[in-house]
Amino acid sequence: MITPFQVAYKNLLRKKVRTLLTLVGITLSTWVLVSLFGFNRGYEKALNRDIENMGYQLMVMAKGCPYEAATMMLQGGTGLRYMDQSMVNDIIKEAEVDKITPILMQAFFDPNKGESGGIAGYFGVDPATYPAMKPFFRFRSGGWFHDNSAPEVVMGYEAAELEQREVGDMTLVPEKNVQLKVVGILERTGTQDDGTIFVPLKTLQRIAGIDKITTIGIKVKKDADITKLENKLYQLKDVQVVSFSQVKQTIMKLISTARVMVLSIAIVAILIAMAGVVNTVLMSVLERLQEIGILKTMGAMPGDIFRLVWTETLILCSIGGIAGIGFAFLFARATDLLMRRILPYAPSGGLVAIDGKLALLTLGSIITTGLLSGLYPAWKAGRVRPLESIRRDG
Amino acid sequence: MRIFFVVMMCLALQLSCISVRPALTAVGCDLNNPDRDVPRLFPESTSYKTIYVSIAQRGGPPLQRRIENRLGGRMYLALYAPLDVPYTLYEIYRDKKKVGYIHGVNQKGQFGGIQVFVAQDLTGRIKTFYIQKITGKSAGKFRDAAFARKFVGLSLKDFESYDPASGKGTGKIAEIANPAPDMVTDFYGVLRGLKKNLVLMDEFVFSVERGKP
Repeated sequence: MITPFQVAYKNLLRKKVRTLLTLVGITLSTWVLVSLFGFNRGYEKALNRDIENMGYQLMVMAKGCPYEAATMMLQGGTGLRYMDQSMVNDIIKEAEVDKITPILMQAFFDPNKGESGGIAGYFGVDPATYPAMKPFFRFRSGGWFHDNSAPEVVMGYEAAELEQREVGDMTLVPEKNVQLKVVGILERTGTQDDGTIFVPLKTLQRIAGIDKITTIGIKVKKDADITKLENKLYQLKDVQVVSFSQVKQTIMKLISTARVMVLSIAIVAILIAMAGVVNTVLMSVLERLQEIGILKTMGAMPGDIFRLVWTETLILCSIGGIAGIGFAFLFARATDLLMRRILPYAPSGGLVAIDGKLALLTLGSIITTGLLSGLYPAWKAGRVRPLESIRRDG
Repeated sequence: MRIFFVVMMCLALQLSCISVRPALTAVGCDLNNPDRDVPRLFPESTSYKTIYVSIAQRGGPPLQRRIENRLGGRMYLALYAPLDVPYTLYEIYRDKKKVGYIHGVNQKGQFGGIQVFVAQDLTGRIKTFYIQKITGKSAGKFRDAAFARKFVGLSLKDFESYDPASGKGTGKIAEIANPAPDMVTDFYGVLRGLKKNLVLMDEFVFSVERGKP
């Protein structure tokens, strides 16, 4: 016996191009919607991961100091402000502090880089405290420095690749002509650490001829009040505090405007797709008035006709929705690349996070919206008067 | 209907190709500022096109082995991910006519990576030689214009009688003197980098063009 589902399916196949175009509309809007929802979750996740990968939630710097090493590079290290290393002892006393590490960023001019010279940046870290901040670091070969004043370097993966270094090779600090031995090469992390050259803090201080630091990284205890600690740190003389939760909030605010705009476009796309569904199903009903009339004279009840037409909507929305979700899964990387080109700042790692739960939720919303759109054509079909329709079409 | 389906499939395949591209690629060797560097290295150029090629893309492990054999040493190709290194190839145009290429490679030096670039005409002859990056006390001597001029007019053929891996041989390359005797490792690094550059260009471009009917 033929089921209402089979009848509905065959009805849709009668006008293949119309059905296909409607399906394309639903597929595209579902694709956009799933990708957007995925981006919504993925971006925040990636941003959190980037912040987590920094190893510390707070950074203390001398007032007026550039936030980013990039600024330092552009200024050739001349714009750096320093602070006393004793500041570390003051901060570690705070109850909220879990771990703390002093850092010295230095840049040296290399006349043999590019056409007119370039800058080589170094990151002086304390081997006793810094590794604990980055527990996710894995060594491709070698390990950390032997002590805080060893003439050694640890290189991020990309830095080692660019400098063609292996463990045991020597490097030369330009400007100062100091030789340092490569003792460790890190595995890729997908963060800025990949391009970093780490030097023991005291070694870098000796090379640069200063006994100060540029930054203090602070890891806060779990469940500690970061804002309270921030306020305490602001009381310290001539320092500024960079909180990554603040940075995150600022970035999220920047992104949210773009997100609302794109979400609005997706909703409009869905409305257009649903108008397409109404149009397709309604046209199909109007073209089949005589058939519906005959079905009714044979004993079909309005509810049966309603169900039959509604099934057509259900088939359209389900196939379109599943195809759209499939595309979203398949091209998540392409969407990721596109987003990276558009966004002013994109954290490392996947920006679009789509999983089964999200896919089901979107499919549910598409089918529900589709079924609501199909109510009118189905109701109209159910109300067809048999004799009138047979007479009119005949 | 069928054409529409085929077009959609092609589009989908193209998109999925983009999708599977790895997020983290190996480090290649690009000009720091191509808009400024290309006219300097190829004065008659009016425009250029940037192309990325990798061994993985052009022939995979068999090509890698062939290049390593031509270089005479496994380590000279790349220390990290030799298959995936994205080699940047600048196709140089004068108006609409292609007139040559610029290509660079990373090569191991004593204290850091050496970036050796050459501008070649369509026959593979060197027009300009440029070391973008080299580390060492006397590194400036390798970047001197007088040293670069010694390579003008040379081609891959000149390496047939000279092996930069062992530093032995005769001919024009053997006659080039080391401008910085305190940087012997880097001198041979430069020559190895140059040979690697020319071999890669031969495999990626010139052998393909020779094979054309």
